[in-house]
Amino acid sequence: MTEQLKVRDHNELFHLEEYQVSRDKKKEFEKGASPEKLAETRAYTCSEDYLKKNFDRKALTINPAKACQPLGALLAAVGFDGCMPYVHGSQGCAAYFRSHFIRHFKEPFAAVSDSMTEDAAVFGGQKNMIEGLKNAYALYKPKIMAVSTTCMAEVIGDDLNAFIKNSRKEGAVPDGLPIPFAHTPSFVGSHVTGYDNMMRGMLFHLAQNVKATEKDNGKINIIPGFDGFTVGNIREIRRILDLMGVDYIILGDNSETLDTPQDGEYHMYYGGTTIEEVAQARNAKATFALLPDSVEKSVTTLMKDDWGQPFEASIVPLGLSGVDNWLMKVSEITGKPVPKALEAERGRALDAMTDSGYYLHGKRFAIYGDPSYVEALVDFYMEMGAEPAHIVVTNGSKRWGRALQKKLEGSDFGKNAKVHHGADLWHLRSLMIAEPVDFLVGNTHGKILAREMKVPLIRLGFPIFDRHHLHRYATFGYQGIINILQWTVNTLLDDVDNKAGDFNLDFVR
Amino acid sequence: MNLSTIRELYKEPACSHNAGKKDASCPRPTPGKAAGGCSFDGAQITLAPITDAAHVVHGPIGCVGNTWNNRGSLSSGPRMNRMAFTTDLNNNDVVFGGEKKLYKAVREIAAKYSPPAIFVYQTCVTSMIGDDLEALCKAVSAKAGVPVIPVDAPGFTGTKNFGNRLAGDSLLKNVIGTREPVTYHPFNVNLIGEFNIAGELWGILPLLDRLNIRLICSLSGDARFHEVAMMHRANVNMMVCSRALLNVARRMKEKYGIPYFEGSFYGSGNTSEALITIARLIGDEGLIKRAEALAVEETARIAPRLEKLRERLSGKKALLYTGGVKSWSIVGALQELGMKVVATGTKKSTEEDKARIKNLMGEEAELISEGAPRKLLEVFKRHGADILLAGGRNQYTALKARIPFVDVNQERHIPFTGYDGHVRLAGAVAGAIESPAFRMARTPEPFGDPL
Repeated sequence: MTEQLKVRDHNELFHLEEYQVSRDKKKEFEKGASPEKLAETRAYTCSEDYLKKNFDRKALTINPAKACQPLGALLAAVGFDGCMPYVHGSQGCAAYFRSHFIRHFKEPFAAVSDSMTEDAAVFGGQKNMIEGLKNAYALYKPKIMAVSTTCMAEVIGDDLNAFIKNSRKEGAVPDGLPIPFAHTPSFVGSHVTGYDNMMRGMLFHLAQNVKATEKDNGKINIIPGFDGFTVGNIREIRRILDLMGVDYIILGDNSETLDTPQDGEYHMYYGGTTIEEVAQARNAKATFALLPDSVEKSVTTLMKDDWGQPFEASIVPLGLSGVDNWLMKVSEITGKPVPKALEAERGRALDAMTDSGYYLHGKRFAIYGDPSYVEALVDFYMEMGAEPAHIVVTNGSKRWGRALQKKLEGSDFGKNAKVHHGADLWHLRSLMIAEPVDFLVGNTHGKILAREMKVPLIRLGFPIFDRHHLHRYATFGYQGIINILQWTVNTLLDDVDNKAGDFNLDFVR
Repeated sequence: MNLSTIRELYKEPACSHNAGKKDASCPRPTPGKAAGGCSFDGAQITLAPITDAAHVVHGPIGCVGNTWNNRGSLSSGPRMNRMAFTTDLNNNDVVFGGEKKLYKAVREIAAKYSPPAIFVYQTCVTSMIGDDLEALCKAVSAKAGVPVIPVDAPGFTGTKNFGNRLAGDSLLKNVIGTREPVTYHPFNVNLIGEFNIAGELWGILPLLDRLNIRLICSLSGDARFHEVAMMHRANVNMMVCSRALLNVARRMKEKYGIPYFEGSFYGSGNTSEALITIARLIGDEGLIKRAEALAVEETARIAPRLEKLRERLSGKKALLYTGGVKSWSIVGALQELGMKVVATGTKKSTEEDKARIKNLMGEEAELISEGAPRKLLEVFKRHGADILLAGGRNQYTALKARIPFVDVNQERHIPFTGYDGHVRLAGAVAGAIESPAFRMARTPEPFGDPL
């Protein structure tokens, strides 16, 4: 029998006499306000006056619900076989991105940087890039190096194309080594823009010498998008397409490298879309993007203008009508019917929806995250009879916000909802005080807010640092419906049980 | 920040890394290698644990979007430092400058939150577009009536460790010595480089209380702004994390005559030594006697529990890959358990750290200066080690390779400091080594595929 590892909970700790003493001693150093003053201030931050002031705030962002471009670029890059993401700029950015992905996926995550310093700020980053590419190639033997920039390189205006050419000339890397690149400054767009830019860089570069054929090869391309559930979702989409007998190529398949099996080895590269597959993608029948905001500009233009392919981006395969519409579209383009097996799955998802309906119908919720994901989730929750109240998206465009608002106005469940594009989580706090909701949907960053508002947080989004394994589950497809319902309803029921007094504790729900 | 200041800070004379070298300076990163955090990161993690101050990042979204609440520095009171404030610069600001936006942002925070101080962090972008942080902070501080502290540590100036130093420099210039304690106390100490990860400071506080030593400031775990301002009234400075804030200890010795020493609260032996050294440097005979008695008493208290764990751990081999003070102090803590430390990382260690390691592990001790995952795994296998103790970025690499792992860096959730912390460390190590999941992972699969 092993001895239990005792860590005294800090809540308990501060009720002990010895800690009360040290806390009193500390008061001397605090700019402490009286309990009355605290209560008064809290009351003020809950007032309508403060709500207005909060929304007047222009120069300051508090608790943002977005991250920066190169982060997205890295997630796109690791979806390709043997690809080492290379960050051109100061080194801290790369370290942050690695920590972020390691904490979310609980996986090793490789990325390098060329560590630009103040010399580079003055003279440009070419020297760093030549040396960096050389070292990274020698050390990590990648098949592809995907270069994205940070703010620093963008402010100087480094010319990536020229730098990479010069690196080859200097013999830093072999001629044949593909080095796709993307400009991804943090002060423009967000992580989804970065995904878009890097994906375009990869596809453009890897397929630039591939000629268009007269007849397509019958395959369809799938671009997964910036998705915290990418591992589960890509696998689910594969399973569905296999069931349908559709021939497909996933462009940027990061589901393997972000979920390597434990075999006693560390694999720096594991799985991913191969260069040959990208070449085939050039002549596919059509391309589907699963999250439209991740392919808003660059990839769309590449597909439509350069590759001349039909491009389907508006349907997210999430929620019942989302999945239905997506499957119908795939079926229409490929000519393959939706098989009986999927019909049965649909029935099961529908069964789950009716089982859980009682606990979601009429419940009001607030949600934040990336535009496409948020929109799809709102649609799904409305299918369950839940009512969105506050929809906060820091990185959504005005056009997207208006379109969603219009759609909501046409729905019985969504007519009271308001879309706040460009807002942050501190705005959301004011909104949730003014009009309370029953639950909150978003990433780990909403944890403190959910606690203050005493509502459950349904963890859907990126990043999720404080829970395990969620990325391994699908949120797409009919199976995804069951997963989302499972998390939502059971979290709400846990909340009911936790809050139940002696009279309401029930065995059957 | 001007270049001569940067160069000067690079040549920190008290750092023996630099001693006796003609061209003394801290190590700089190699392009193309997986590298650690930047100066901004280092500055922010040094100061952000000051719990009642507001921390504003003047830059584009990435710098705060990727960093808020990313370390487990806990607070016993205010939680202002948990808020992520940023000017969230866009394209236009890069062209026309971000000073106005910052000015408004700081005014807004001062008016709505009235914190005791506002720290403003420079980033790569705002430094390059030429926003004058120092002048602006001065101006807005006068208007808003709150100390506004510039932290000029853009990422491109260098490594995370260098950022720690820049943060220390900012405190020396702007904060330390600006306030006096209300009450007199004969024995005062500062802990420099203790960040209260997982509440580790709280394992030490009762020990200081029992000795009647007043902690003025832990820089910066669970610190209040005014505590930092009163640091100059300590009788002794203890450097808990050696390389991070050495410049603060040295300058405080020069300016205020406060002696400093380097110590650790990891392992009961180190804890005893640290407490006794504090007492000795304060120089009160009674206090020294009490510290010695406390060490004996506490060591005896945990002895039976430690003995049981020693039985399970004796003879096991550990590989340690961590930074600075932990590179030697945890060696000692593990050796007290009868374990053999086969190699330790020295990437962030000072020359003193290395000397201590040699002293503990012998001259033939293997020092790992580069922590690339493959290298760590190679060392682990070569020595036939039983466990890896390192930080979060190596955690999953280790687990993939079926290596039992204990996190001893900023993501740790178990406090390892003090006497009880030693028992916890031993427990965590034993638990990881004995995990049945690893036993299963090392057993061949039933369907024949060789491992």
